Amino acid sequence: MKPSRTRNISILFQLGGLVLAFGFVSLILLLIDADPIQAFSLLWEGAVGNTTRIASVFVVWVPIVLVTCGVLVTFTAGLWNIGIEGQITIGAIFTTGVIRMFLDTPVNPVLVIILSMLAGMLGGALWAVLAGVLKVFSGVNEIFGGLGLNFIATALNIGLIFGAWSRPGVASMSGTEPFPEVYWLPTFQNFRFSWYSILLSVIGLVVIYFLLQGTHFGLRLKAVGKSIKSAFRLGITTWQHMLLAFLVCGVFAGLAGALQVVAVYHRLIPSISSGYGFMGLMIGMLINYQAIWVAPIALFFAALNIGGIQLPIVMKLDSALTGVLQGSLVLFVLLMQGVKQRVLGKQ
Amino acid sequence: MKKKLVFWVLTVLMVSALILTACQPSAEPAPPAEEPAQVEEPEPVEEPEEFVFGMLLVGPYNDRGWSQAHHEAGEYVMENLPGTRMIYLDVVNTADRPGTTAAQLAEELVQQGAQLVVFNSDDMKDDAVEFTRNNPDVYVIHASGDSVWAEGENYVPLPNMVNVMGEMEYGKMIAGCDAALHTQTGSIGYLGPLINEETRRLVASSYLGAQYCWENYLGNDPADLNFRVTWIGFWFNIPGFTEDPTQVANEFINTGVDVIISGIDTTEALVEARKATGEGNQVYAIPYDYVGACDEAPEVCLGVPWYNWGPAYLRHITSAMNGTWESVFEWLPPDWGDINNHDTTAIGYVSGPGMSPDNEALLQQFIDELAGGLNLWVGPLNFQDGTTFLAEGQEATDHEIWYLPQLLEGIEGRSE
Amino acid sequence: MKIGFNQINKHFGEVHANVDINFNIQSGMIYGILGENGAGKSTLMKILSGFIQPDSGEIVLDGRVVEIESPADAIKFGIGMLHQDPLDFPPMQVIDNFIAGQEGGLLLKHKGIIREFKALQEQFGFTLDPEAYVDTLTVGERQQLEILRLLWLGARVLILDEPTTGISVQQKEKLFAALRVLAQQEKTVVFVSHKLEDVEVLCDKVAVLRNGCLVGEVESPFDTDQLVELMFGKLIILKDPESVSGDEIVFELQNLYIEQYPITIENVNFRLHAGEVIGLAGMEGSGQDVLLRACAGLQRPVSGRVIVNGEDLTGKNYHEFIRKGVGFLPASRLEEGLVPGLTLAEHFTVTSDEKQKLFIDKTYFRSLSEQMIDEYRIIGRPDTPVESLSGGNQQRAALSLLKDSLSIILLEHPTRGLDMESSIYMWDKLRERCKRGTSIFFISADLDEVLRYSDRILVFFSGRVSKPQDSAAIDLDQLGLMIGGKGWEQEIANEETYEAISNA
Repeated sequence: MKPSRTRNISILFQLGGLVLAFGFVSLILLLIDADPIQAFSLLWEGAVGNTTRIASVFVVWVPIVLVTCGVLVTFTAGLWNIGIEGQITIGAIFTTGVIRMFLDTPVNPVLVIILSMLAGMLGGALWAVLAGVLKVFSGVNEIFGGLGLNFIATALNIGLIFGAWSRPGVASMSGTEPFPEVYWLPTFQNFRFSWYSILLSVIGLVVIYFLLQGTHFGLRLKAVGKSIKSAFRLGITTWQHMLLAFLVCGVFAGLAGALQVVAVYHRLIPSISSGYGFMGLMIGMLINYQAIWVAPIALFFAALNIGGIQLPIVMKLDSALTGVLQGSLVLFVLLMQGVKQRVLGKQ
Repeated sequence: MKKKLVFWVLTVLMVSALILTACQPSAEPAPPAEEPAQVEEPEPVEEPEEFVFGMLLVGPYNDRGWSQAHHEAGEYVMENLPGTRMIYLDVVNTADRPGTTAAQLAEELVQQGAQLVVFNSDDMKDDAVEFTRNNPDVYVIHASGDSVWAEGENYVPLPNMVNVMGEMEYGKMIAGCDAALHTQTGSIGYLGPLINEETRRLVASSYLGAQYCWENYLGNDPADLNFRVTWIGFWFNIPGFTEDPTQVANEFINTGVDVIISGIDTTEALVEARKATGEGNQVYAIPYDYVGACDEAPEVCLGVPWYNWGPAYLRHITSAMNGTWESVFEWLPPDWGDINNHDTTAIGYVSGPGMSPDNEALLQQFIDELAGGLNLWVGPLNFQDGTTFLAEGQEATDHEIWYLPQLLEGIEGRSE
Repeated sequence: MKIGFNQINKHFGEVHANVDINFNIQSGMIYGILGENGAGKSTLMKILSGFIQPDSGEIVLDGRVVEIESPADAIKFGIGMLHQDPLDFPPMQVIDNFIAGQEGGLLLKHKGIIREFKALQEQFGFTLDPEAYVDTLTVGERQQLEILRLLWLGARVLILDEPTTGISVQQKEKLFAALRVLAQQEKTVVFVSHKLEDVEVLCDKVAVLRNGCLVGEVESPFDTDQLVELMFGKLIILKDPESVSGDEIVFELQNLYIEQYPITIENVNFRLHAGEVIGLAGMEGSGQDVLLRACAGLQRPVSGRVIVNGEDLTGKNYHEFIRKGVGFLPASRLEEGLVPGLTLAEHFTVTSDEKQKLFIDKTYFRSLSEQMIDEYRIIGRPDTPVESLSGGNQQRAALSLLKDSLSIILLEHPTRGLDMESSIYMWDKLRERCKRGTSIFFISADLDEVLRYSDRILVFFSGRVSKPQDSAAIDLDQLGLMIGGKGWEQEIANEETYEAISNA
């Protein structure tokens, strides 16, 4: 079979998964007496209906892209970096810490922002490498190690917000005291998104694309991911590469966390990672680890997230419904990949 | 063969899904038959006279607690003020709605036609201020906030914002008195959430009420009253981070506490009290926030201090419609004529089935005294660390109570 | 059952794997399908057993045209196929595996089935323990189990794909005896192999395939030269290579003591000369693999020393060994030799010395891999994933990945699963390296291979290592006896004198 035909069939199956997912959600909507057409048009309207909404979609897009870029690296090395949520959180904590250090000092705020973001990347990387060290040297599966580290990161985060970094007199779910505006990443006009965030995620995308497609390092990671034993026999230092994969992923996660602080919330909040880490893992699987698809699929998920707000407001649908749509989307697309392999594998 | 079958099944599935979606609008008029009394139409029909108000709820609209109290207040406004319609969005918090802020969501409500927006949580303070500043044409009610209190410590002049809060201090005093009247062991436990100015003043109020009734109605030595607070660290249980409220409640019970006053959003205190009572060890609990909170375990529920936001919202929405809006900070007392009157009071106290008739009379006497002007925030009162809070005869100002920096002497437990 | 192939054609992309195949197989005989790797044997057998469907042509069973859609279909028609790697379910017991695949009957009459199983295996002289776990069985025993299972499912035609790969000589004898019993019972046995010697002793008739075409059918008794010519289209004559061993010592083992349960290897002393070829002979699991891995730095010795080019590398890791000029080709190529999912070009990229650079020069590596593909006659393109190469080509690719300047190459079963031409080619390439001064340690179960290519031989028997035997001074029978554990008293006596001499 010619490659182009195979690719067409693949796309057909992916689309099939998409259609099935939408069909499934329609079915649920019908069961609860809601109009699917109205729901889907609201989703669309809610995501692209006006410039503010589009801007909001990009606010969500940025961290999803960065996180997905990160997990592609660990996926390539055959690792399930479940600890990514914690890495985002620690990144955000480091960023907040640095800004707090320089509040009320004469240091140039621009410099502080840059320093704080670097610190965020460092924090994410440290936390990721910790998961890697647990795996490589103690034999703790990265999934369990990551879950444990997520837990610790969350506890640390909440501990800081309600403890050492709490607002004067008031510990609040809304997070730490917001930073003065000079420490905000400049936003575009009155919109919520910042060109700098967009720029950083685009740079991230390009870096990851070339890292995985065009570098010796990326190829070695791929070899480790495909067969760790063979890669070792071919002379690749396998555990070092696994740690490096964690490190790179952690840098991206940390940057996502840093941007959540300096560009979105301007403070540390309890759920700073916002579940983007798990979403990144989901998207990574959905796009079958191909960097080229990160941007559009992340955009799609971001749009669902923002558009989904309309459903409870207008139709009084349960707020969990967009989550159901995202989940069933991933399930059905993966299902169709399995079906495709069965069907094509036969020939 | 198998291959063909798979294709066939898939085709049928896809086609049926498409047909289902496509046929929907013409096929069904969508009768909301079994939906419970939905007052408003699902479609945003714009009528010229209609006044739409939006509400952002921090928790689920049916949480049997804080958010449900607000949601029911919104329904109360629609019933009593023709021409108004509520739209709302619940679970407005960053954990449930990643990547969004309350300010952004408020703007979505405005896009759906809201002319006034209610922020129902102290946690939304920054967003409420930001939104109010950026949308000078939209009226904002921030419940539990203090941003437009000129004497307050967080004053921001915002002509289109109103702050509303009920004087729950009275509710908690009544709860404290109730607890003191029922304790056999002289030990009262307060299941506290996180520590802040608001929670501190509510614990202190409970203590003041308990102490007053213990001494004046029961004639006991104040030194014999044991009043403890244990903070779990948050409004509800987060395994691993907060202390487990179930364990804290049990710890209370095991160390002789027989009345638990709950300051958290969930019902562990009631559940554990019922369990202990079932085992032959009579323990009572007093929940918080919502008028129907006793339903979880009525037999051990002494009563519940509850918020009634409806009248205040009705008043402010009316003034917004009439053009008589005024930016104010309101800290509203109960209607002393009938503290449980849904049309007039800001907070109330509903007695639960666990209450004995004798004590009910004493409690009513306490309420009457409060109504008659009894002020418990009068010196001499010391802080927990022994320093003087109020000298002999000195009355606390609103400012001193609102921003209470420490617990009071006599309360066991952490101040920060 | 009579099987007819009628104008069978099958394409895989550009490759025409079966071209107008026409022939018949009578029942009650052992029928060989002979051909080198990639000749189209496996494709044809997969068509017969329902794994794949032909593009055109038909299968005729006892005069009836049938469509075989799946392996389950095939077994309904009475056709059972034994794969190169028997498909089994490792965590199961033998008896559970035996009944797996049976239709219906969830309520298993265990005792009755064990009795039937024993009766069945008695016919063939198999002695499997029905309670044993499948993962404890050897390859040969798994094969026996699979045969029994297929027969019990009602197979009247048994297809065996390269069944003599990876099993011991004794097990091979047992297998052949069982196949002869089956033929006597009027079952049809189809024996797919590239090994002339197996086909010659076993089959009644063979069909020879080359490049997807049927090039001839020959009846027993066979003329070896004729078969070789049919297989390869030309005559290949084997001649013993000359030794190129020099005097310089490149590799040395001193008092090596290794423990790897259940094998303990004690007190190995050995010096390897540049260009020398050493064969490690012994039954599988006698310790030769443990020693080889110790030589590669993959197995840490308890005591003793491993010295490469005069440098003590004991306790260093495998990558240090690689850097110091040790190359290792493991037997399971796709598990620990090549990376499935990576292309040939990617393999050359990963193993090249250019890897310190950041970006991959794709043009350079494309031409490098084209050059290597050419040089090592690998049938594949730079962008071919290694797992889709045939076994022989995978082995050539693995060899081509080894650096040119190695001091010693360690090989496990260098020609296992390879056809004769590939094997010969493999050794040609290895000898070329020997001439340039590289020494070779290799394990092989094929004693002919050990005798033919080794300068000296180390024989292993349950952890014991013989003193080096000069391959010119030992013949096949002696070697076979030593592997089986005979003649070691003499060896021990020798060893003592050997030690006495070296201690003196």
